[in-house]
Amino acid sequence: MKPVVVTGLGAVSPYGAGVVAYWKGLAAGVCTIRDLTLIETDGFRCRIGAEVPGPLAGSARRTRADRLAIAAAGEALEDAGLGARDRRAAALVVGAVGGGMLEAEAWYWRGGARPACLSAVRAMLPSAHAETLSSRFALGGPRHTVVTACSSGAVALAEAAELIADGVVDVALAGGVDAVTRICFMGFNALKLLDPVPCRPFDRERRGMSIGEGAGFMVLESRARARARGAHVYATLAGHGMTTDAFHVTAPEPDGDGMVRAMTAALRQAGAAPAEVRYANAHGTGTPQNDRIEGRALARVFGEGGLLVSSSKSMIGHTMAAAGSLEAIATVLALEHGVVPPTANLATPDPDVPFDCVPRVSRGVPLACAISNSFGFGGQNVTLLFRRGPA
Amino acid sequence: MTVEPGVAITGVGVVSAAVTGDSAALGAFLAAPSAPADAALGAGALAALVDPAEARRLSRVCHLTVAAARLALRESGVDPAAGLGLIVGTEFGDLGSTHAFADGFLARGPAGLSALLFPNTVMNTMVATTAIAVGAREMALTLNAPTVGGELAVARAAAAVASGRVPAVLAGGVDELDPVVEHELTRLGLGAECRGEGAAFVVLEPRAAARARGATVLGEVRAAAWRALPARPWGVGRARCSYAIDAALKAAGARPGDVGWVYASGSRDEARDRWEQAVLDAALGPAPPVSALGRLLGRHAGLGVLRVAAGAWTARSGLLPVVNGTTGVARVRPGRGLVHGLARGGAHVALLVDAA
Amino acid sequence: MESKEVLDELKTILVARLKFDPRRAAETSESTPLPKGIEGSIGLDSLDFIELSIAIEERFGIAMDENQDLTEYFASFDTLSRFIAGKLPSA
Repeated sequence: MKPVVVTGLGAVSPYGAGVVAYWKGLAAGVCTIRDLTLIETDGFRCRIGAEVPGPLAGSARRTRADRLAIAAAGEALEDAGLGARDRRAAALVVGAVGGGMLEAEAWYWRGGARPACLSAVRAMLPSAHAETLSSRFALGGPRHTVVTACSSGAVALAEAAELIADGVVDVALAGGVDAVTRICFMGFNALKLLDPVPCRPFDRERRGMSIGEGAGFMVLESRARARARGAHVYATLAGHGMTTDAFHVTAPEPDGDGMVRAMTAALRQAGAAPAEVRYANAHGTGTPQNDRIEGRALARVFGEGGLLVSSSKSMIGHTMAAAGSLEAIATVLALEHGVVPPTANLATPDPDVPFDCVPRVSRGVPLACAISNSFGFGGQNVTLLFRRGPA
Repeated sequence: MTVEPGVAITGVGVVSAAVTGDSAALGAFLAAPSAPADAALGAGALAALVDPAEARRLSRVCHLTVAAARLALRESGVDPAAGLGLIVGTEFGDLGSTHAFADGFLARGPAGLSALLFPNTVMNTMVATTAIAVGAREMALTLNAPTVGGELAVARAAAAVASGRVPAVLAGGVDELDPVVEHELTRLGLGAECRGEGAAFVVLEPRAAARARGATVLGEVRAAAWRALPARPWGVGRARCSYAIDAALKAAGARPGDVGWVYASGSRDEARDRWEQAVLDAALGPAPPVSALGRLLGRHAGLGVLRVAAGAWTARSGLLPVVNGTTGVARVRPGRGLVHGLARGGAHVALLVDAA
Repeated sequence: MESKEVLDELKTILVARLKFDPRRAAETSESTPLPKGIEGSIGLDSLDFIELSIAIEERFGIAMDENQDLTEYFASFDTLSRFIAGKLPSA
């Protein structure tokens, strides 16, 4: 199996366009969760979220999610310096959930009396982004779209890594994207999973998630190819684990067995001992259940207090299908800069979570190895393990 | 990718208006195919496969998926506790639940929202519910693609089994006909293209493991590849170079002339069907007979998986149904053949299927 | 509201919102246990209880305090009816 490295990063986040703005916001511990403006929120208990500030790049004829994807994917390809020939052969894996649902909702809310136009119907489905991106960037290799709820962005990276490790392609563009939708907002409100104030992962008083939106893409390639063309290597995607709770459609399995198996599989694939991992970018949604169970699962794998843990969702909210890839980008940048981004809004750490969750202020710590966890709705668990540089 | 040491098909499950059952039921159908009187699946067929307490919590499309998955798993005899992955391809997911969820709000405001419906608005709902129903705890993927979702799921599953990452995989496809979606597509002039509904699964595991536990091997996936052909988004392209077919043939160490039959993904989208035929002609030379089940049964992701199971049946029997748009059954050379899918926009899947 | 009326409303909710078969719903009585895992119960899980809460809030016009642990009230229709009756404004 060929080693897989990260050679390009692209992000559009609630901090704005670009990886520079993203890292700057995370490192400074700035929380972007505030009143939602893209959708109507009257009558709902929670009315806040983390939106990408406008205006967005690209044509207003495209769906919001497509525009986010194009901007992030374009930045990653540019960053990696991928030429036309490499792009023609590159695989594309997209993690998506909402697709163009925001625009489809707007039409449906107006009564749907006028026929939807065909391109709008097609743009609604999660698979639309792959069609848009492959056309826009002339990506000619294998492409597919994964929908695994909150872990979609991470699964997309793992899928691309497998294509490269198996020698199907040398280069891949992979990542996740989601725009705010009424259905997502209303649904999580109905399930009473949203905190009316900005989420407080790992805090004793936490009450739930905050929704967010964005897009995060990486260029992954075989280490040999990256070396041959002299590409800058951020990190090695050394291992991943994908498991399923098969327990309940919304509640996580109480013992965190699926989470433990995902983390263990990632360690095993990377040939890494638990003690090597110094930082975990947690799924950390801020719900009472997730954070408690995830804390317990981390303790089972790494020992209590065995590493630093923080949640980027405290700052950018839960960006749904983009979360897995945006948070993987945060993890890669933490390795690159030797800085662990904090958990914002953390006033009173939950004594049941036996880790230093880096409250409010980022921490300078030389890091060689870190993991990123994404534990999706329906028990879809993914852990990605990164090592600094070409390792 | 090469699928050494051999990927065996050990179970088949289909739930559709035309045929419901395991490989035996499918074989009987393929030997005398006919379009069902009503293209939409009746409720009766599902009742036997899912108990009422479970059924209460399953949307219709999830119900189809669980039923078909259970049929395939039962035929294979695989024990999920030994490690089972689950991969499902779909084009539309659970849009029925999605607009029902929205309707609740539009009619009655926040109090009209259904917590039970909300998980179904995310397209992984069929996988999430089926994983629980069968106990699949390895990877569980939902692949969303136009036209080729089913073929893609099997190709991806074959790669997972061949790489040794997972002991067995349930690979399936499902789509349902949703009245709101159908109404809109018809208004947009896409009514003529035949869409159908149903779910189909195959169980894939390493051939050696299947033999070791005395399972009946129904067929083998010798190679599987997915690539892309150049085309505008949702467009019909002009390129005929068949990267996926070439990659599959190469991985299996086979030549175009070794392909005795083809199951193609045609379904009366005439421009797309012509493009697919052109790609097949360019790749395979003197054309082997091509079956287009979609022209009889309507396109859906379940049919893509059914075609792989059908390929295993054809490889054994030397019979190929629905050739050249007729409901007859042609005699073909038994042994290996091609299951092929091509979508508008260029997503392209090729599976080389053979007898055990 | 009479407790029989409350029970009938709850049975309607079982069918309309929780997707129970009407015959199954009609068979339930005040003492039928609700939560999954109890012998003779109708098998409701955490998601069912959320749906039930939303429906009760809508149908009876009462508010359920989610910071309060309401588990004991959801044990059976009997306990639930009494909880609801206690929250309704007096006739």
